[in-house]
Amino acid sequence: MSNVAMELVNVKKSIGKKEIIKGLSFSIQKGEVFGFIGPNGAGKTTTIRMMVGLMKLTDGDVKILGNSIKSNYKEAVREVGAIVENPEMYPFMSGWQNLMHYSRMIPGISKGRVKEVISLVGLEKVIKEKVGRYSLGMRQRLGIAQALLHNPSILILDEPTNGLDPAGIREIREYIRKIAKEQQVAVIISSHLLAEIEQVCDRIGIIKNGEMISIQSVKDQEELEQESLSQVQLEVTPINHAMNLLKEKYEIDAEVNDQSISFEYNKADIPKLIQFLVSEEIDIYQVEISKVTLEDKFFDLIGENVIG
Amino acid sequence: MVKFIKLLINEQLKIYIRKSTWAMYIILAILIIGFAALTNTFEDTNKYTEDNWRQELQNENEALLNENKEFQEDTGAEDDDFYISFNMDTIEKNNYYLENDIQPLQYGAWQFTMDNRGLLSVVSLLTIIIAAGIVASEYRWGTIKLLLIRPISRNLVLLSKYISVLLFAFFTLVFVFLFSLIVGTVFFGFEGIDPHFVTEKNEGFAYISVISEIFSGYGYSLVNLVMMATFAFMISSVFRNSTLAIGIAIFLMMAGNSIVSFFGDREWAKYILFANTDLKQYADGNTPWIEGMTMGFSITVLLVYYIIFMALTWVFFTKRDVAGQ
Ligand SMILES: Nc1ncnc2c1ncn2[C@@H]1O[C@H](COP(=O)(O)OP(=O)(O)OP(=O)(O)O)[C@@H](O)[C@H]1O
Ligand SMILES: [Mg+2]
Repeated sequence: MSNVAMELVNVKKSIGKKEIIKGLSFSIQKGEVFGFIGPNGAGKTTTIRMMVGLMKLTDGDVKILGNSIKSNYKEAVREVGAIVENPEMYPFMSGWQNLMHYSRMIPGISKGRVKEVISLVGLEKVIKEKVGRYSLGMRQRLGIAQALLHNPSILILDEPTNGLDPAGIREIREYIRKIAKEQQVAVIISSHLLAEIEQVCDRIGIIKNGEMISIQSVKDQEELEQESLSQVQLEVTPINHAMNLLKEKYEIDAEVNDQSISFEYNKADIPKLIQFLVSEEIDIYQVEISKVTLEDKFFDLIGENVIG
Repeated sequence: MVKFIKLLINEQLKIYIRKSTWAMYIILAILIIGFAALTNTFEDTNKYTEDNWRQELQNENEALLNENKEFQEDTGAEDDDFYISFNMDTIEKNNYYLENDIQPLQYGAWQFTMDNRGLLSVVSLLTIIIAAGIVASEYRWGTIKLLLIRPISRNLVLLSKYISVLLFAFFTLVFVFLFSLIVGTVFFGFEGIDPHFVTEKNEGFAYISVISEIFSGYGYSLVNLVMMATFAFMISSVFRNSTLAIGIAIFLMMAGNSIVSFFGDREWAKYILFANTDLKQYADGNTPWIEGMTMGFSITVLLVYYIIFMALTWVFFTKRDVAGQ
């Protein structure tokens, strides 16, 4: 069996004359957490609506465990749990009644399973209360519970962190990790805030104006610390001599601003570099190291945050 | 099938769990009790006893004749003729009882239930409200998205909603029927298992079963109810707006007869939906509203309308993207 959970093949969507999605192709593996990032109006929600069959595809196809959403809708959507935009529920029913309502729509969901997902998202205390009285965070959790009810192979969450407090965001990240690792569920999370989901994603796709402009994998934290380039800022005198030394020995083209020089360098190798400068009798007043984050790359890629 | 029944349970639950639905039943109950109280206060429902009913009927006839004489003498009011013929009808009916030696039926639960068939227009109204909301509200709440991403075809989801509307109408009808019987029994007593009464039919007066009158009366009203509910259901899924659906459907229901009489002299008037919803016009020697119309014609027209309503509903609900409003 192939390891691909979901595959998009040249997916296009036009509404009226406007082409909103301009040919997306990518696939998501089982057990992978895929971040779907883009500014407002980039087409994240539209793509997700097509993935779950709420919108027709103008062109292309979405395959879920090999089943086409177009020709094999029921088999395909059986494997999907989703929140699309806000997690709206029936406000006049309790959380429990809402979940039971959805559980009746898919064969084979026991009451035990309903209780299981309730405790997974930590809603036991308020589950008998009317959803109309829930806070946004509670509704978000109920939305996730609803999406998990039928043990889907693919979980699609459109802005799941919307309205959650930091603790809530962390919790959600944790069980997204957990179900991806333990149950080999493929998870797609959309967000316009990279920082919120960066840590939980294995790969990140950046979408802008209906086009995927970059897909890159996120290395885990330790690797990042070791490998990735850091922005180094040194306050030194004499500046010119230091610059020459760096150029000769390490081939670094540093930039000068005021009393300091800055350049990118591997974090792990920085102590050696400092030792070298000291041994060459350069006075060092301050060393400042900051990470080059994906966030920076993100903004490099999408330019300024323009809608449309 | 099990799947479909579960969908029906869901839809029924969403209807009956809401307080607004209960308010509808409370209003119906109040109306029924109110009618009973009014009837009890203003009408002598116990006047024909075993011993005196013949005397009573004769007295009534005399009084009516006198009344008619007065009408004829002072020829002022325009509607005198109407009252006169109405009184003559009553006299004839009374004579029918006397000639055939039938004791008039005491007023009771069955006749009260029969008289309440007017409440079916209230049932139609409530059904329209439910039909108008059942699709549009899912869009308004945003729950349509979660409803349609299940391994169930949109056809089945829509069918479950339509059947749920009809079930609501049926349950409400049964409620009106049973509650009228109960309230009628409490206020007026119970006439027995199969009471008969005299009423005017095709071939003059006839002595017929109250229960069969109830069923035919309720039955004829059902045609209009189903058509208007289907209409509201259509507007609801085409425009995804329940207020609009309620507004148009109730307006048409109220104005239906006026529309027909306004265009009555046109060639195409008989194709107007409302010229055909009252099938009672063909029964009991009534004359149809527009010449040349027959029961078969009306049923055909109704079917054509029904199919158009359904087709529009289905196309719009199953083919359209579910996007933001
Ligand atoms: N029903 C519609 N008709 C016309 N255009 C639409 C429709 N729905 C969305 N769009 C357009 O499609 C584009 C993508 O919208 P979409 O909701 O997918 O963006 P998004 O990436 O989810 O943004 P956000 O971060 O704000 O949620 C927008 O430019 C929007 O104007
Ligand atoms: Mg969105």
